[in-house]
Parts: sequence; C-alpha cells; structure tokens
Amino acid sequence: MEVKLNTNVLTNNNVAADYNRDLFHKTKTLVINVMSSPGAGKTTLLEETIKKLSKQYRIGVIEGDLATEKDADRIRQLGAKAVQINTHGGCHLDARMVVATLPEFDFEEIDILFIENVGNLVCPSGYDLGQNHKVAVLSVPEGNDKIPKYPQMFMRTELVLLNKVDLLPYLDFDVETAKEDLKGINPESTLLPLSAKTQEGMDSWYSWIDEAYQACLKQ
Amino acid sequence: MHEMALMGDILDIIMKDAESKGIKQFSRIDLIVGELSNAMPDALTMAFEIYKEQNAQLFTKDASLHIQFEEAISECIFCKTVYKPDFKISICPSCHMPSGKLISGETFQVLSYEGE
Repeated sequence: MEVKLNTNVLTNNNVAADYNRDLFHKTKTLVINVMSSPGAGKTTLLEETIKKLSKQYRIGVIEGDLATEKDADRIRQLGAKAVQINTHGGCHLDARMVVATLPEFDFEEIDILFIENVGNLVCPSGYDLGQNHKVAVLSVPEGNDKIPKYPQMFMRTELVLLNKVDLLPYLDFDVETAKEDLKGINPESTLLPLSAKTQEGMDSWYSWIDEAYQACLKQ
Repeated sequence: MHEMALMGDILDIIMKDAESKGIKQFSRIDLIVGELSNAMPDALTMAFEIYKEQNAQLFTKDASLHIQFEEAISECIFCKTVYKPDFKISICPSCHMPSGKLISGETFQVLSYEGE
C-alpha cells in the first residue's frame, strides 16, 4: 500500500517552535536566537549586553552546548537567569529542547530571552526555535570567506554582528567586502561591525535591541 | 551532520501515519531533499541503512529509501530571469539587482511511503 504524505520533515520541530512562539508572544518576551561558529564571541557579547542592559530589561538566557555548564555559569555570575542545554553531541538546538527549558523561566518576569545556539555555522540555521529574530555573529579572525561559504546561515538571519573589529589592524579582513557579500546573499540583512571587548560599535547593537523590543510590545 | 536525527524524525512521521492505517512494515520511503535544506542525501541514505539494521522488524528485507534532489533555483522579481544561484543567491545575473528570490531548493519533505 502506498501512502502519499507530502509532510515537512521538520514538522515535529515546527510544531514545538509554534508552541514557543505563542508563549513568547503572550508574555511579550523578545526572543533572539544567536548563532555563530565556535569562538566568534557569542557569550562575551551576551555578557557585555547583560551588563549594559540589565538595568533597563529583565534578561534571561538559554545556553546551548554539547557539554558543560560553563557558558550558563558565566551568565549567572552577572545575576541573569540562565538555563544550560547540553545536546550531548547534537550539532544544533531544536525547538523541542527549548520547550523542555520553559518551566525553568517565569516569562512574566523576563523582557528579553537570548538563545545562544550551539557553535556551528551550518545546522542551527535550519531550525526554527520560535524566536522573534535570528542573529548571526561573525568574527574578524574567521576571515572574509565565511559569508560566501555558509550561505544558508546568512540567508536565514536578519542581522550579522561582525565581532572583534579591534583586531582589524592585524588581520586581512575587509569589512566592505563582507557587506557586499552579505548583500548578495540576503539584501535584507544588516552587518554591524563591533567589538564586545572594547565596546566599539556596541551602541548600534543596543539600539537594534531597543527597537526590536518596542516592536515586540506592539505585536 | 544531523542526518541520524532527521531520519528519526522521518520514521516518526511515517510511523504515526502508519499506525492509523494498520501498516506495520515499510518497504519504501520517498523524500524530496532541497540543495539548501541542510540535509545531505548520502548521509540520509546511510542513516536509513543504520535504522533498518537496528529495527529489522519495521522494514522488509529489501526496503529502500528514494531521494528526489531539488536544485536551488532563483528568480529575479524584476526581470523574471530564472537562474542557478552561486553563493550570491540574490544577485540577478541579468539585471545585477539584489532582487533574486529562491523559488526552489529549501524543500525537505516525506513525499510518500509504502508498507503493509
């Protein structure tokens, strides 16, 4: 017997993502899915963001890693609520893993939730977690070729934070080429050069968050 | 490389459907896999063979996985040129505007299955 299905393979994930989205929407929580290669500086960026914005917003973080609580511990030291997901070899977070962490948060008490995905420039881009925004972090030492080499990530994100620009004088990274490559893959995406370490350019990122939060309240 | 997990999702989808129809054993699964879907056909085939070996009762001996590959194709919203995108997916090769939209290549579906 032949049965026609025409069902999206990611149906189970998408049902869970819709469940998350519904909860985030009801509780007016802005949710940002942050993705990058390992070592691009996602956790440092979140640490600096929490330091700067914690007076203004109540911030929660879901940390995705294969193993350890190291990243969640770094966030907790700043007084923010952090829940660690260990994927035990899994190369990305999926929406069901996020669902499993929801009871740990009181979303009436959280304005912004950052989801720091597993460090990987490939697989995380394919999974909807129910977030409002997908943001990619790219860092100067990774080189100019990453945008053209990993188009799926950059066509599915709306903002690219180019981190570690304090290293530009020492490396061959060209910011204009990166902007042009990004425009070729996704004309609607924006590249913000910044350094979480020196704070250069971070104000643009904070303004972007403010705007995203205001838009989230108006939904 | 998460094709084992994806194959788990695929089997979950067909097993749920098969339960309602009283189907207990599968002989064929047909998928469509887009070039930009983040899934590799060869790795899916390998994952299928591993699941088949580990769950012999679920599959007939000659059960097979068939994958229809969907190429990435873009179309320019202005001049309507249809083109095979290189990494600059959205740049139209005819009018050079950033106006190309993917019209194919992201699909990842279970098309059908066969079983008794």
